[in-house]
Parts: sequence; structure tokens; C-alpha cells
Amino acid sequence: MNTETATFAVSWVSEQSTGTRALQQEQQLNRFLAEVERRALRIAEIGVRNRDDALDLVQDAMIKLAGKYGDRPNTEWAPLFYRILQNGVRDWHRRQAVRNRVMVWFGRGNKDDDDYDPVATAPDPIGRSPDEELQNSEAMDSLEVAVQALPTRQREAFMLRTFEGLDVAGTAVAMGCSQGSVKTHYSRAIHSLRETLGEHGPAGSGDG
Amino acid sequence: MKKSDEKFAQEAKALFDASVDDLDAATLSTLNQSRHRALEEARSPRGQLMRWVPAAGIAAAVLFGIMLTLPGTGSLDPMPAGVADMDILLGEDSLEMLEELEFYSWLDVMEEGDDVG
Repeated sequence: MNTETATFAVSWVSEQSTGTRALQQEQQLNRFLAEVERRALRIAEIGVRNRDDALDLVQDAMIKLAGKYGDRPNTEWAPLFYRILQNGVRDWHRRQAVRNRVMVWFGRGNKDDDDYDPVATAPDPIGRSPDEELQNSEAMDSLEVAVQALPTRQREAFMLRTFEGLDVAGTAVAMGCSQGSVKTHYSRAIHSLRETLGEHGPAGSGDG
Repeated sequence: MKKSDEKFAQEAKALFDASVDDLDAATLSTLNQSRHRALEEARSPRGQLMRWVPAAGIAAAVLFGIMLTLPGTGSLDPMPAGVADMDILLGEDSLEMLEELEFYSWLDVMEEGDDVG
């Protein structure tokens, strides 16, 4: 084998190796996004009270994560993804606030919040008895309304810790604050929700 | 965390998971499409470029800051001499000019002398 052939062979093997690594990374990213996308949608939906807007926010978060942070270690993806998503939700609220101010200026208040009907947007029943489905649906509606009523930071801490299952460190990265703040926000959120939902707890079965 | 708080969180999580499982087919399809679009964009040349945008932006800002803080660079020359030289060298007449480089150097010195005078 002459030098040129050897150089070509090394270069080809190197390119193949890089290509294989990129493909593996993409497959891992695909699996990660497939795993979180449904929970992320529901979390965004609780945040903005609109499924279409929530779908847009999740798509934007996916594009930004894949485009900017796809080559980061996959252990960092969840906090980064939720950080992007939470920023999107906050931006959405800022835009809504501006829009509402403009609409009030022109004499047309925003009635989106008043029109929001958790029952109408409740998911379709799948595989459970109608009674059980109804009970769960009503309980989730109550929980959703109570979570929506929380201050933003408490809501974020509660949803990321409880719904997504991020640990304190991951939640701190996602929220862009210290771990101590996460613990405080989470604790206050739980306390506030328990007060709102009463002694029966979120599922209405009593919290013992 | 208190046991009662833990139980509360577990119940809330169970309700949330049930609502996730109940998402309709149309929504799941949209999510699937969004995911594939995200991966496709990341694969595209534009997506590859996007990864370098933050680093390039920071590098440009740092360079700009250095240029502003260096002594004697209070005003920014729109086309520094080096860039102008490269432009001339890459032009079609560059070979002819290179052959008569000594003449152009002499001409440059003479013009500077005229400016001073």
C-alpha cells in the first residue's frame, strides 16, 4: 500500500467513524425527544392554556435543542430542553400581556382566559371505565386550574419536579436559578396546592 | 419533604401521566412531525451553521471590543490597508502588478511625500 492509498484509507475510516457517531447522536436525540414530547406538551399546555400554542412552543424547543445543543452530552438534554421550553412559555406570556394592553387600548379586552374551558379541552377517554375516566378527568381539571393559579416560578418548579421528574439540580438548570430557590419554590407550591385542593388531595381520595 | 407532601406529589403525577396517555392521535402525529422537523433542521447546513452562531457572535463581540480599546484605534477605518491590499492582489491584474512591485513601492513613497509637502 503506497502512502497516498494509506492516507485515503485513514481519511475514509475517520469520516465513516464521524458519520457513525453523528448518526448515533441523532438516534439518541430522537429517542430523547420522543420520550419527553408528550409530557412537555402537557406542561406547556398547562402553562399557556392553549394546545395549539403549546404545540408550537414544543416544536420550537425541539428545533433549538437539536440545532444548538444536539452535540452536548445527552444527560444535559432534559434540563436544557425544559429551560428552552420555559423561556418560550415566559415569552408567550409577555407577548400576551403586550397584546392585551394593545387590545384594551383599542377597547377590546382579551377574552381567551375567560373562554378557556378545561373540560372542553380535556383529553379523549382511552381504555378506562367511564366513571373512572370522569373522576380522573375532573381531578386533573381541578389540579390543572390550581397549578395555573400558582405564581410562575412555583408553577415551573412544581411541574418540572413532579410532572417531569427532574431532580433539584436539573430543575435549577431548567429554571436558571439556584437549587435552594428550587426547593423553596417547590415547597411553597406543594403547600399552596394542598391548601387549594383541600384535604382530599389531587385525586380526591384523601391524603391521609 | 413530609410524607403527606410526597403522597400528594405522587397522586398529582399519576393524574398528569393519565392525561398524557390520553392525548389524541392528531396531537401525537403533530408532535411526531415536529420532532422529525427538528432533527431534519439540525442535519441541514443551516442547522450546522446555527451551532456556531453563538460562538461566532461572542468572538466578533470580543474582537470588536479589543479594536475599540486598543490605543490609536479610536476611529474605525471602513477598509483597513490589509484588506485593500488583498483585494488588489486577488484582482485580475495582480500578476502584472507583482512584476512591477518595486515601481509601485517607489510610487507609493513619492505620493506620501507629495501629501506631506
